[in-house]
Amino acid sequence: MAGVATKLTTGLTGMGVARHPTTTLKGLYAKILRTTAKMPDDASYKKYTDEVVRDRAAVIEKHGTDWKKIEQEINCGQIEELIIQAENELNLARKMILWKPWEPLVTTPEPDQWKWPPPK
Amino acid sequence: MASNILRKLSGSLIGVGLSGSRVSQTFNIAPTVLSRRLSSEAQTEAETRPTIRKHDEVARAHVTDFGRYVAECLPKFVQKVQLTGTDELEVLVAPEGIVPVLSFLKDHHNAQFTNLADIAGVDVPSRKYRFEVVYNLLSLRYNTRIRVKTYTDELTPIDSVNDVHKAANWYEREIWDMFGVFFADHPDLRRILTDYGFEGHPFRKDFPLSGYVEVRYDDAKKRVVVEPLELAQEFRRFELNSPWEQFPNFRDTSVIEEAAPAPEKK
Amino acid sequence: MATGRAAQVVTRQVRPILSVSHNEARSRALALYKAWYRQIPHIVNEIDIPKSTKQCREKLREEFAKHKDVKDVRVIDMLIIKGQMELKETVQKWKQVGHVMNYWKETVNKKPTDFLSKFLEGKD
Repeated sequence: MAGVATKLTTGLTGMGVARHPTTTLKGLYAKILRTTAKMPDDASYKKYTDEVVRDRAAVIEKHGTDWKKIEQEINCGQIEELIIQAENELNLARKMILWKPWEPLVTTPEPDQWKWPPPK
Repeated sequence: MASNILRKLSGSLIGVGLSGSRVSQTFNIAPTVLSRRLSSEAQTEAETRPTIRKHDEVARAHVTDFGRYVAECLPKFVQKVQLTGTDELEVLVAPEGIVPVLSFLKDHHNAQFTNLADIAGVDVPSRKYRFEVVYNLLSLRYNTRIRVKTYTDELTPIDSVNDVHKAANWYEREIWDMFGVFFADHPDLRRILTDYGFEGHPFRKDFPLSGYVEVRYDDAKKRVVVEPLELAQEFRRFELNSPWEQFPNFRDTSVIEEAAPAPEKK
Repeated sequence: MATGRAAQVVTRQVRPILSVSHNEARSRALALYKAWYRQIPHIVNEIDIPKSTKQCREKLREEFAKHKDVKDVRVIDMLIIKGQMELKETVQKWKQVGHVMNYWKETVNKKPTDFLSKFLEGKD
């Protein structure tokens, strides 16, 4: 989109300005959705992650390449930070498929395990 | 920023499905927060003593919501979610799930607890799994803290979270050194505080206050020697209990509360 | 048979530390012993201790023999882990002369056993 100011710096050490942030983000969000699609439909993790990702993808769709408006509307840091968050979520989603956290509780604790003050 | 998480969470608890757009979600949240505040005011009206710490009901509602959210996302690992007397959120997890839970808290969009502030240990010898390992996390994004606890005994290894948080390296070495809890897959597990050749784990409750050995410089040998501690009988008695009980009314009371169950969804 | 059943009763499912069987733990213990045995000449060479290789190897055998009756695989594993850490501390010279010499406990007086020495010690 013409007329969008180029970002010169993020102002944060170690975090460079992203070249094509919106393209990157769209790709990452699509990947996350493809990964969560492999989880069962009633998994809460899938439900909430899909929701966040769809929300953010919609915002990006709405504003095109206008990073200022995207940052303002998502309100979760700079667009470079959004990329980091999306990368983390993608890694997590891939691991979640192995961990299967939607299954029932793996170990029930001993009855006095979480009692405080502890029984004598 | 902090309201962001609440907006997300409550929005997802009530508003999802009914409304796709973000604007209506933010509208949806307003009445719940309001009603919660009103109901909590009714509860706390009785508490007027100036010396008693008052609960911050809004913060409490925030962390309760988030605790419920974690429990809902990871039902396989979360055993219990509770709030301490000072409105801090504690998530109690099965020892198998410590890496998934910390990864979730670090990498999930709505959590982002990227900072591992500390790992601590607790020894309760009367329990079958006598050690608690406590992870204190901080989310800079949402300005929130959370405490994750798990448990083990002397011989059961716990998975190292060094792959999730690099800060865990030295913290886990400290727990190993002080309590003797073994961390599986730790890259560099060795002593960190005690002297080379030191035997035992000083923070265990069965480790005597004075230790087992004393160290001195031996002039004849020209080196430091370690010898068994010999205390005269009169110095051996440690009376840690005071002759009176300071807070007899609070002997068995606990200020810890389990997080309230989620409100019924319509 | 009876002992077998009794053993079954107390068996519970636990997470292994390193070894899953007694044989595996045994081979690990032997490997650790060999590692120490081979390092001892270098240790004697590197660290200024008034002990010969032979004396060190006797001490090594003694330290291992202390735990000869340990049967629990996980306890053996834990001892092996600690032994490996000790070996590393010694070989890397993180330990100083005093630390290494502590294996011999030369300054520790033996506990008095007979009446006269107990009397002279001034203890009952």
